[in-house]
Amino acid sequence: MTYAQAVADGIWAAGATRVGYIPSVTVAPVINALVAYDGGTNGVSPRVTPLSREEEAVGVMGAVTFTGGLGTVVMQDNGFGNALTALTTFTLSYHLPLLVFANTRGGLGEYNSMIHSISQPVPALLRAVGLPVIELDRTSGPGDWHDTVQEAGRHAVMTYRPVVVLGSFWNTDGKVA
Amino acid sequence: MKRIEALGVLADLTSSHPVIATCAATSRELASVKDSDNHLYLLDAMGLAGSVATGLALSVRPSAPKVVAIEGDGSLLMNPNVLPTGGYLAPPNLLLVLLDNGVYGSTGALPTYSPKVDLRRLADAAGWTTRAAQTADGLSAAFAELLTVEGPAFLYATIEEGNAPDIEKLLVDPVSLTGRFTRWLREVHAVVEAAT
Repeated sequence: MTYAQAVADGIWAAGATRVGYIPSVTVAPVINALVAYDGGTNGVSPRVTPLSREEEAVGVMGAVTFTGGLGTVVMQDNGFGNALTALTTFTLSYHLPLLVFANTRGGLGEYNSMIHSISQPVPALLRAVGLPVIELDRTSGPGDWHDTVQEAGRHAVMTYRPVVVLGSFWNTDGKVA
Repeated sequence: MKRIEALGVLADLTSSHPVIATCAATSRELASVKDSDNHLYLLDAMGLAGSVATGLALSVRPSAPKVVAIEGDGSLLMNPNVLPTGGYLAPPNLLLVLLDNGVYGSTGALPTYSPKVDLRRLADAAGWTTRAAQTADGLSAAFAELLTVEGPAFLYATIEEGNAPDIEKLLVDPVSLTGRFTRWLREVHAVVEAAT
């Protein structure tokens, strides 16, 4: 099992009923695995859809919970700057479960000389506004990534709030950037 | 047509619909006209009404009453992605009512782009079925017409600038709104399931 497949399987195992994504080259294999499982092709399936920006993804996927489902956002960590107001004033304030999986940038394996300016402080930024953050990297295998993503989704449901899983693909079988 | 008149019309028309109302004056005035369990007021989530309504429309049973978003021009312009996303995902049961007064009504009446940028045409271009209204009667007629549309529907309503006087702030815990709205949705679903 690849790391990307592990993340995708973990999202479905968590009970996700709908997934919205904002593309990045790193999460593309995750999205492809999600779509394949759901019977789709070319980045789209009945329950997996592209969205144009992280902020709206929080709105669209956060609303899923009103009908008893679990929405999930798959994105890259540099998009959290776009999403903070929606995450705090909507999902956090209204106690709405939401699973967010984001690949990290700006660390080891990074080529972009600017992206660390947003990506490096992301974990602290998210924790500062009260969002639970779980971090994954090369030190654990695909099985652990699967279980962590799955449990993060359950945790979001049980604690009525968004939960963020950050995954660094450096030195895994995935692509950093 | 003043905003509060338009909201009075919409409150009567939407009693069986899930309603997502944009923040500040619109939510306050809607609650003052009629505060109902089918209303979800977004107290501070700027620009998110259309996105939340889109997510909800994708999640409710297709046979449930259309999800109605009540949005302002300033708020829509904070998140205009609502239009292409709605057109692309095309939920069959989404109706967005845009109350356009040409200003950010809750923040000092500073101008929005809408006097120069045609938001109805933007919605048209993004694949929404659109209608326009300038009066209360026109609003009712256009709303009824758009209920028959299969796909994202956009009601462009022109309203006067200005907020209704002496409307109290909406000092409620958002969690209580989640609870009552979710319970109401469950009841609607139960009704729909029993009828099918």
